[in-house]
Amino acid sequence: MQDKESVQRMEDKESLLRLAAAEVSLDRRRLLQMGMSAAVVAALPAGCLTVPQDESEQLLQRVSDSPRPLEGERLGSLDDAQFETLAGLPRFVDQGWALQTDLDPYLERLRSDLEHKTKYAPSYLTEYEHAVELIHLVSGSRATSQEAWSALLFAEFEAADLAATKLGRARRFVFDELVTHQIPISGAFKGFGLVNYRGYFGGPFADPASYRRGETPQPAEED
Amino acid sequence: MASILIVGSGVAGTILARQLLASDERHEVTILEAGPGLEPTTYRRWLDYLMAGESPYDGFWEPPREEHERFGLRGSRLFVKGGTTNHWGGWSLRFKPEDFELHARTGFGADWPITYDELAPHYALAETLLGIEGDSDNDDPPRYGARFPFEAAPYTLNDMPVIGALDSLGMSYSHLPMARNGSRCITTGTCRVCPVNARYTATFDLVDLQRTYPERLELRTAAPAITIAMDGKRAARGVRFLDRASGETDLLEAERVAICCGTVESTKLLLASANADWTEGIGNDSGHVGRHLIGHPLIYVEGIRPGNPERAAQELDFITLGSRHYDTPAHQREGKMLFVRAGGGSLAAIEQGILRNASRAEIERTMSSGIYLALEASVEQFESPENRVRLGGETAQPGLRATRLDFGVNAVTAAALQTHRENLLEVMRAAGCDANSIRAEFIKPDGAHATSTCRMSASDSDGVVDRDLRVHGVENLFVCSNAVFPNVTAVNPTLTVAALAVRLAETISRAA
Repeated sequence: MQDKESVQRMEDKESLLRLAAAEVSLDRRRLLQMGMSAAVVAALPAGCLTVPQDESEQLLQRVSDSPRPLEGERLGSLDDAQFETLAGLPRFVDQGWALQTDLDPYLERLRSDLEHKTKYAPSYLTEYEHAVELIHLVSGSRATSQEAWSALLFAEFEAADLAATKLGRARRFVFDELVTHQIPISGAFKGFGLVNYRGYFGGPFADPASYRRGETPQPAEED
Repeated sequence: MASILIVGSGVAGTILARQLLASDERHEVTILEAGPGLEPTTYRRWLDYLMAGESPYDGFWEPPREEHERFGLRGSRLFVKGGTTNHWGGWSLRFKPEDFELHARTGFGADWPITYDELAPHYALAETLLGIEGDSDNDDPPRYGARFPFEAAPYTLNDMPVIGALDSLGMSYSHLPMARNGSRCITTGTCRVCPVNARYTATFDLVDLQRTYPERLELRTAAPAITIAMDGKRAARGVRFLDRASGETDLLEAERVAICCGTVESTKLLLASANADWTEGIGNDSGHVGRHLIGHPLIYVEGIRPGNPERAAQELDFITLGSRHYDTPAHQREGKMLFVRAGGGSLAAIEQGILRNASRAEIERTMSSGIYLALEASVEQFESPENRVRLGGETAQPGLRATRLDFGVNAVTAAALQTHRENLLEVMRAAGCDANSIRAEFIKPDGAHATSTCRMSASDSDGVVDRDLRVHGVENLFVCSNAVFPNVTAVNPTLTVAALAVRLAETISRAA
């Protein structure tokens, strides 16, 4: 029981929860289909998610459909400028979703964790470098970093094999992973009224106060 | 020459090795593992699991094979140092006294040649070795004063609606014993790749053993056993194995051999060792090797309980609430059921909302909109001699033979599945789930809980190993895996095989 398949099945159940808020979810889907962003659209100039043709061609350049990081044996470190470029994503997320976390200690931890991802195989170094190139590319044609990140994360394309392109790989191996890292490690989840979160190092299970908001009476034990 | 040669480095082999090494400094143990080596969780591996959901065990699933429509093998067993403990959930329940008397009480299956009371002290020691948290005051089944090494984890907030339902329906429930080291666990929500090794794995245990007994323990990985080598009909000489590094076949001799490589592989090793004395496979003169295959058919029921103003989220990444209400002598004839409130159910997938570009308000609304509830149940299946494991052909992995299965579900089990499905749906409704959201599905049994293909018996005409796990008719060959269970009741087998390993170590030490 609780094998890989059943875990996957449970993770899939998260989608049921979203269906519980069906109207919201469907409205969002319609917005996305229109190429608009529910979270940031109001703050952005019209058409910010439209990507110029020449830019699209570079973003959609086919790289690989490998499920593993490219050149995973190439070990190394990001330089400061490259890391700062990637660090723009947690800054964008922190601001766009009003997370209000203390980013300085988080970015220190992120730097350290990305070292683990580039110094040990399979190394993400090449994937990170490709993502940095894309960020520079898109930022160069946008007025603000907010517009650039919105395009990088949310612009939709017709490409059938998006996952195998530079942008598709950057979304999968870099942007999605960074956001998934940020919410628990920065403590951003606490702003949503939670005490513990997947990936956060809470306390011992014998001490519910370390992972639960308030104390809840336990039912009487059975004989 | 090793005094003991163990085939398989999963929970049974590791516990057996630990107890032998600790009990007598004359014991020298060699373990053969078919799969490669694996170090316990590293920080990098944990990061990959957190950030990418990447399982470090994906490369170690058993060799590709034809899947049986009624019995799964993929996704359940791992061929690697530490075996399937690398990805197990940690559920650690004892069988109950009546489970050892199945045939006498119901006419189904076979009785164990040992009783619950005989195994009780070994259960207690196994609970300590696996680092189990549980409720020591719960005396069903009787604990005879034995304490779990760690206090039970509290029920979670998401358990509460189910507990309310069980109370209203008059159903019993309890803390589910789990292999979670309470002095290490830091509730990261990433139990599958625990960064602090709080979930028991034989992998971590073996590292400790290798450090503690460097002179008396040898672990050879990438070394699949091919056959048991015999000295005549009554004595094992050792094990022929493939050294994958060199590609050469070699023979390791030992005073005793213990086959601890799970139900399917243990069975296949006996069958593959057929020789002039044992023409149908070692221990198979009565034809029981490979027969009586049992698994656990599962039922999964899920639904949404509207409203969650407290934003209760999944607090712990392991099961805390279980019910053995349908696991009693009264339910034995129809087929017992164990059910738990399954994990998951978090509304707090904040990163998923952000990556969908959902607004913060939208994410917060979703978090408060409802609670995902699920029950997962395993149902007792009764044996049939037609359900069996047989040897298949060669696989792409040198040294490993494919598995052939014959399997069907009998009418009693089929009826039990329907009855228990209704029982679970009743709980979901009582827990306040929206009727339109409730769904149920049956999941076929699989290799994770496969048992009984080398079953224990008092007589060699009725099984494969005796009450001391010695293969009938071979004085120094033992099987210690789920394969020796005459039945598997409705609960997970791991604690019971660990208890049998403790008991086998005592048997061998006494004889030595």
